[in-house]
Amino acid sequence: MEEDIDTRKINNSFLRDHSYATEADIISTVEFNHTGELLATGDKGGRVVIFQREQESKNQVHRRGEYNVYSTFQSHEPEFDYLKSLEIEEKINKIRWLPQQNAAYFLLSTNDKTVKLWKVSERDKRPEGYNLKDEEGRLRDPATITTLRVPVLRPMDLMVEATPRRVFANAHTYHINSISVNSDYETYMSADDLRINLWNFEITNQSFNIVDIKPANMEELTEVITAAEFHPHHCNSFVYSSSKGTIRLCDMRASALCDRHSKFFEEPEDPSNRSFFSEIISSISDVKFSHSGRYIMTRDYLTVKVWDLNMENRPIETYQVHDYLRSKLCSLYENDCIFDKFECVWNGSDSVIMTGSYNNFFRMFDRNTKRDVTLEASRENSKPRAILKPRKVCVGGKRRKDEISVDSLDFSKKILHTAWHPSENIIAVAATNNLYIFQDKVN
Amino acid sequence: MEFKLEAHRIVSISLGKIYNSRVQRGGIKLHKNLLVSLVLRSARQVYLSDPCPGLYLAGPAGSPAMPPPPPQQQQPGEPAAGPPAGWGEPPPPPPPARAAWPEPEPQPERPAAPVTGAGDAPRGGEVEAAEAAWRRVEGAREAAEGGAAGPAGGSDGFPEGPRGTRRQCGCPPGAEDRPGAPGACPRLACCCAPRPAEDEPPAPPAVGPRKRGAAGVGGGPAGGPASGSSPLKKPRRNSEEQPGGAAAAAAEEEMETGNVANLISIFGSSFSGLLRKSPGGGREEAEGEESGAEAAEPGQICCDKPVLRDMNPWSTAIVAF
Repeated sequence: MEEDIDTRKINNSFLRDHSYATEADIISTVEFNHTGELLATGDKGGRVVIFQREQESKNQVHRRGEYNVYSTFQSHEPEFDYLKSLEIEEKINKIRWLPQQNAAYFLLSTNDKTVKLWKVSERDKRPEGYNLKDEEGRLRDPATITTLRVPVLRPMDLMVEATPRRVFANAHTYHINSISVNSDYETYMSADDLRINLWNFEITNQSFNIVDIKPANMEELTEVITAAEFHPHHCNSFVYSSSKGTIRLCDMRASALCDRHSKFFEEPEDPSNRSFFSEIISSISDVKFSHSGRYIMTRDYLTVKVWDLNMENRPIETYQVHDYLRSKLCSLYENDCIFDKFECVWNGSDSVIMTGSYNNFFRMFDRNTKRDVTLEASRENSKPRAILKPRKVCVGGKRRKDEISVDSLDFSKKILHTAWHPSENIIAVAATNNLYIFQDKVN
Repeated sequence: MEFKLEAHRIVSISLGKIYNSRVQRGGIKLHKNLLVSLVLRSARQVYLSDPCPGLYLAGPAGSPAMPPPPPQQQQPGEPAAGPPAGWGEPPPPPPPARAAWPEPEPQPERPAAPVTGAGDAPRGGEVEAAEAAWRRVEGAREAAEGGAAGPAGGSDGFPEGPRGTRRQCGCPPGAEDRPGAPGACPRLACCCAPRPAEDEPPAPPAVGPRKRGAAGVGGGPAGGPASGSSPLKKPRRNSEEQPGGAAAAAAEEEMETGNVANLISIFGSSFSGLLRKSPGGGREEAEGEESGAEAAEPGQICCDKPVLRDMNPWSTAIVAF
């Protein structure tokens, strides 16, 4: 086959900007756990890297806890579906944490086809003094044993081990794009382009199909599922977004197969903005419930919208992320950037929303003050403890000193994945193969 | 005029994307292909609906400018895009009062078919003949749709996705088993009736993403080289439907025959796969897909590119059966 056999190519821009990356290192998902103590990232090579926040020390008051690598493991490997002659990428599409219930941490990670439940646990003691084994583990000849002793646990260097506890496979024909843990902590759902399945954590060989939008004739296919999420408090409700820019809220109490929505959120299209690419840019790439459960936020190519669950006919807020790209849609279509799937996140109090853009820019919108800011995640601008300077893209003719013009934007540097600490103002921003962690300025 | 060029460019780009998606790691991405096919349809719509009579007078043979006014424009309420007489080239023998493709080849009605694509109101009539042939390739499930596609092909030129790829067979739903039914497709067997044995309507290349994908993938292993392809062993289809395939085939048809060469260069050896429509197989559900696809594989003939160039698309399509 003429396809690329080796996808771990070295990006040939490495000579220029010292940040060469193999494709496998590109970060594909970022997620804080429920306390914010841990931050997990998944990459295209199927690896998961977990960062843990340092305990704050009294000596360094100004140095709030930094995140250091806690554990790294290979979650998914490339697979080959022999029946369909298809290679299954090992790229981690999503990671979701389970709430902590004991000393170990649990997370779900998924690639295109398989979801895995990983247990991450610490080991800081080891037993010593076995009777039948010596210190290296070799068996001792029982005839040489003359005394008995009780093994004791002795401290050792901290070891963090990750073990796969469950593998949920073979339930998706199409590519999984979302997973979401239910608030009952017993079930979760996985969504692919046409179907959504409900799983129980304990059962790996069965799942319930709760949404199926596959038409009888694939020729009639008009939309696919792009993202799905459970309601944060109501374990019976979930939403899923479509490529047509619509969101459906479903209630699992209504029927076993939730093909009929309870609520349908759609904004009428603005006819003045019609173009060849209207359909593409209206496709929703991410949907997130607010922490309160009252609002949902959706991201399409050019905007972020906030919807009130009680109002279906239009969003309550719309924020332009990079409207200057509207006139460049054709070029963005050519270089495939128009298909980029940006994610969006709420802050802990649902007052600020954040999403990424190109040129390693990311945007934050304050819902209360209606102010927004554009920041850049790049090595040059980010020395430790340096304050990020707001950036501005100049649209018109005259470019001011610090502004950057639309044509100078680097579309290969895109921020698709971001995460916000659940309670503090700490954000994690993934820029290709680099992870940036920013926090509020400490006075 | 710029719209037309722009639309043509977008069509070419879209077709290229669909082709490339076959060789991408991880399999065909349904979402992206769906979006690409929507763009393709929109562009094709504009391309066909934008009347530029002057363009044809000046255009060299094989120029991308497609002459015929799309049938949509003949729909009631649609401003006439310009009757065949307005076109620079001599109108071919008058098929139905519809678009006249200045095709030198003997099937003048044919071009109307793909052009129609999205918005054909049900039209009985002679044109169906040519269209029928293509539709068999395309798989005209639309028969069931009846006239529903009409509004879809409305003036705004942006038909809904699925409708876009539908080709109206033009045959009234009842005409399925009677190819000779009046007002139905007179010449060739009506697309409705092709394979009675099949449970489902034949999977058209246009609408059978599955088939198309296989065909396309079949092109892959043969190697990108645009040189003629030896018989390809098509790999099994993946389960991802490729709605873009529909549009791809549609776009192909619309292009003047002279443009077929352009498409060939775009698609390389898989071009033959695009026109090929697996007679057997049909569209089964994803679960039964593999068997269906495999059933369709045997018996496929790979045309050499040079041969393909000489055959006009219709003959090729028919041969595919």
